[in-house]
Amino acid sequence: MKYAHLVWRNLWRNALRTAMTGGAIMLAVVLVCLLLTMPAGMDAMLNDFASNTRLTVHNKAGIVYSMPYSFTRKVRQVDGVAAAVAWVWFGGAFEEDGRVTFPNFAVEAEHIGAVFPDYPITQQQLADFQRYRDGAIVGRQIMQKYGWKLGQRVTLKSTVWPVDLDFRLVGVIDNERAPHFWFNREYLDQALREKGANGLGIAGTIWVRADDPRKVNTIMRKVDEMSRNSEAETASETEKSFFANFFGSLQGLVTIILIVTGLVSLCIVFIAANTASMGVRERAGEIAVMKAIGFPRRVIFTTLLAEASLLSTFAGVLGVALAVGLTGALQAAAGWSDMLGPLGNFIVTPLVIVQGLFLSLFVGMLAGVVPSFGAARKPVVESLHEVF
Amino acid sequence: MQAPRAHGGDTPDEPPLIRIDSVSRRYIRGVDEVHALEGVSLQIHSGRFVAFMGPSGSGKSTLMNLVSGIDRPSEGEVIVAGQSLGDLTEDELAEWRARHVGLIFQFFNLIPVLNALDNVALPLLLTDLSKAERVRRAETALRVVGLDERIDHFPRTLSGGEQQRVAIARAIVTDPDLIVADEPTGDLDARNAEAILELLRSLKHDFGKTIVMVTHDPRALRFVDHAFHLDKGLLLEGDDARRADQAVQLAAGGGLISGAGRAS
Repeated sequence: MKYAHLVWRNLWRNALRTAMTGGAIMLAVVLVCLLLTMPAGMDAMLNDFASNTRLTVHNKAGIVYSMPYSFTRKVRQVDGVAAAVAWVWFGGAFEEDGRVTFPNFAVEAEHIGAVFPDYPITQQQLADFQRYRDGAIVGRQIMQKYGWKLGQRVTLKSTVWPVDLDFRLVGVIDNERAPHFWFNREYLDQALREKGANGLGIAGTIWVRADDPRKVNTIMRKVDEMSRNSEAETASETEKSFFANFFGSLQGLVTIILIVTGLVSLCIVFIAANTASMGVRERAGEIAVMKAIGFPRRVIFTTLLAEASLLSTFAGVLGVALAVGLTGALQAAAGWSDMLGPLGNFIVTPLVIVQGLFLSLFVGMLAGVVPSFGAARKPVVESLHEVF
Repeated sequence: MQAPRAHGGDTPDEPPLIRIDSVSRRYIRGVDEVHALEGVSLQIHSGRFVAFMGPSGSGKSTLMNLVSGIDRPSEGEVIVAGQSLGDLTEDELAEWRARHVGLIFQFFNLIPVLNALDNVALPLLLTDLSKAERVRRAETALRVVGLDERIDHFPRTLSGGEQQRVAIARAIVTDPDLIVADEPTGDLDARNAEAILELLRSLKHDFGKTIVMVTHDPRALRFVDHAFHLDKGLLLEGDDARRADQAVQLAAGGGLISGAGRAS
């Protein structure tokens, strides 16, 4: 501790350089801490999105392949299944250019409410959905995006089926998590028959709600066993797993970001090492004199290394504090706006704090060890010859 | 072993503080071997103020480095305060210097981010003294050099002469056996140079310190007990030494330095 004053004074001999190096380390730590919250944040986000009693059944070959609609009835008979509903992708485009800008599905109006009881849809709207064959229930985001109102009629041109359908908006899924457009499958079935087709005999996906979360695994196994050796073998998965697969590309992005973050951290190590080297070079004369008056190599090494480590750790503490503050602000913002809601899941946990502090200390030590060792190792007579 | 031939001043009965026996120092520079010192032997007794003089490349700084334990000889033996320095490792030499030697440099080499008091107290960090005791000793050393009212000043706010006084205070704060000064007046004007030489002499007179000084400054002859003259790595003796002494006196203005430096 008796060298603390010397270390502290040396640290601030060039305040601007110290502040800029510290700032670079601080920002790197903020970046790393925020990125380290992403895996846990995404998991929490999936937990928010996904129910622990809900699962999905789709064709084993992929979700673009269908299953016989009759399989939905078999699924409903499996022990532990509280409700099941078949979805069929409509691929309806609203805008003039024919692009599909939101997911739209033909669903069984009488079952949808039982499978998604956690979705904020009023009982009256669910009743209207069953009453009107052309009724549609739409996610709030879509309603807001297009400025739609309940009771309004909208037409979707299917990019999959040879029909355009005109819908009456009867309900809203009043949250930001479900940007769906659901309509009654009987309406599509009827339209297809009117076109001379066979009607809608398929299910694209079957969503199932279990009456007990502990039965979910058993239900998945039984459903997949029922379809074994049929033309449409199924693959069941939990809702969380289903969304996780959807977010798979996002997780790949996270991996790329983590790699980039690692490279950024490495750059910061080099910047800090360069700063430490410059500091040592500038003070070559002083270090030579300190050695000459009797400072042993270990003290020279330790004090120089302590300077680099102190700076980076101090910057790391500020960086972690800033990351905690930023995520705290995001959480507060999430409370004000549903759209920002998922951001509230990105929390700087104690583990991330420890990782951030460890990173900063590691950067400081790695950056400081080479110049400190070089300065300390050199014999005193060589050090004096170089500077005098 | 060749007997020591030169003595720093009169030869008292007590053993010398510094004894250099047949010392040579050679460096490899590129592909060449440089003979910085060849077969130098001398003795310096405790309480003497001596100078190593000579032209550039004469080997005086090399000799100073050997005497102060900064460097080790290629051949021969350097014994200071009873310790043979050639036997010590780099770290042992550092520890020995901290306890036995006070060093003064031409360009002062104070730590710019520390004030005068902290600069002087710097060598005391290597001791087990309490902070209060370190401060007390540093204040005393600054009082000895006449800077006790400038303890809070940083080097940039001190004149060259004052900075050198702080450096001298730093050299004496550990109460070393030996003070070694490398061109202490080399970066000072005439008035400050004289004041520093006077201060060094007073350290000898008032505190009985042994002082070894490397210098080009002919004025130094007025202050030292003895001047060793070196040339091309050899210690000048006899008529050669006397002629070198006279040449230095002439350079200093002849009669101005009458009675100074007597070679043995």
